[in-house]
Amino acid sequence: MNGQTKPTRRSKVTGLQDAAHLARDALQERPELCLGGLFKQGRPVALVRGLLAAGAKDLHVYSSPGAGYDVDLMIATGAVEQVFIPGVTLENRLCPNFRRAVEAGQVTAHALDALTVVGGLMASAHGVPFQPIDALRGSDVLKHNPLIREIDCPFSGRRIHAVGPIRPRVTFLHAQEADRWGNLRHLSTMVYADQLMARASDIVIASVDRIVPDEVILDDPSRVTVPSHYVDAVVEVPYGAHPTASFPHYAMDEDHIDAYADLGDAARTGDRAGLDDYIARHVTGPKSQGDYIEAVGGAEYFARLEAETRKR
Amino acid sequence: MSAAVSPLEQMVVVLARDLADGELGAAGAAALVPMAAIALARELHAPNLTVGGEMFFNPLPGHLYPSMLDDRALGRCEAAETFIELFGHSHHGLDFFFHSGLQHDSYGNINLHHVGGTLDAPGMRGPGAANLSYCHTSTRFYVCPTVHTTRNFVEKVDFITIPGHLSGPEAKRAAGLKKEGPRFVVTPRAVMDFDPATLRMRLKSVHAGNTPEEVQRHTGFDLGIRGDVPQTPPPTEEELTVLRERIDKTGTLRA
Repeated sequence: MNGQTKPTRRSKVTGLQDAAHLARDALQERPELCLGGLFKQGRPVALVRGLLAAGAKDLHVYSSPGAGYDVDLMIATGAVEQVFIPGVTLENRLCPNFRRAVEAGQVTAHALDALTVVGGLMASAHGVPFQPIDALRGSDVLKHNPLIREIDCPFSGRRIHAVGPIRPRVTFLHAQEADRWGNLRHLSTMVYADQLMARASDIVIASVDRIVPDEVILDDPSRVTVPSHYVDAVVEVPYGAHPTASFPHYAMDEDHIDAYADLGDAARTGDRAGLDDYIARHVTGPKSQGDYIEAVGGAEYFARLEAETRKR
Repeated sequence: MSAAVSPLEQMVVVLARDLADGELGAAGAAALVPMAAIALARELHAPNLTVGGEMFFNPLPGHLYPSMLDDRALGRCEAAETFIELFGHSHHGLDFFFHSGLQHDSYGNINLHHVGGTLDAPGMRGPGAANLSYCHTSTRFYVCPTVHTTRNFVEKVDFITIPGHLSGPEAKRAAGLKKEGPRFVVTPRAVMDFDPATLRMRLKSVHAGNTPEEVQRHTGFDLGIRGDVPQTPPPTEEELTVLRERIDKTGTLRA
């Protein structure tokens, strides 16, 4: 071959910091970021922290229809301009920084519903100009929802709604496994809207608990939840969803989230020192995921979260 | 039965009795009481009731969890779905669903968006809500907040997140709300239903240990009390035994 090297397939395995820079640069072109998982499960939190450490601002944040800790943290660091998520809550309590920033007029929280967000992602994933919705009635959300329009159904003539494509510039996902080409496997019971987001977005970056050999994927292709075709980069990050859960590997860290929310509530009522310290120790301080794991409590601490998953 | 019946146990039993065999339904966001009610109905009289519509079918939790969006709370389940299928369920509707909020008003409307101010300049910003469709595509829904005070039971909500009966039959018709909407409001104090003519909330029964006057005092609007208000039928021996021994093994509803 005259010394020329034969081209080989490119691995999509990326380092956490490189992935964060890829996302930051893309989001400077268009600030629409979408996060996989749901509430306290399967959230790509290490990627979010990486992005915050790399420096992001004026973000428009999307998600599956329910989010909490990660969006609140992004707001706490001043990275968010608009929130396009129907439900923002820690479930057992309100999101303190979300509340504070929206009440102070610093962040716009749009009134939305699940079908608008899912329908918009469907339109983008399927490459059609809009998705009809015929199940929105009576709620004040309809008076404020910026993403929907009323249209006449061309078949029944009935007034229905349409949502245009939601096309995130960058989507972060968290899955339990991937091969080096970026084929993802969710081993958790629910996969939320992750598959839809992967197909709807410009750039998809996934964190996984572990990279597995090619044979694991090839031996069971129907187990792949997101084919590598849709994935641009994959990062192996131990406990990359913490403090949310990555079932069946580790459970959500309710204590950590509660302690964070206490600091957020203190900031909301005027004392921001604890929250700033939290951000320094967990977001801007750690140089690696290893540093983060130490800052949270080390290997023994995480072993407890692993044991939690077996308590059913 | 040794320990006294807790208010949450009473709520669970009231809701379970109204769920029928063969129905399809799901619990919504604040799932503790609704999931216990569904599980109790399945154990007692509705073995063919299907739990579905929230991205999983027929979960078998080891014990009760406050949220069903937790793989541990699902325990084992028969199948999982995604938000794509939830989009379909939301259009087709379920037989029943459950809701609760920051404020509930005299027509069963529910607010999860803001208390005071406006949406853009809220006094207090709430969490919002994901699914606004099951409340009117489903055959009916239940309102089941775990507190009942003049703060969360108000004459008129500041924002209608989940439409109940809006301002009555005419408004409901104009908005295209064609199903029953909220059937019962079940709280730790009492059961309310809606006057079929006006669709205004009224006191149906009070749980043991409460008087109609007390319930009215903790409600921010007139509950239309006329004459004697019956007591909510307490749990039977069988209901309580099954609830405590097979569903709420850790006593979460009594905590």
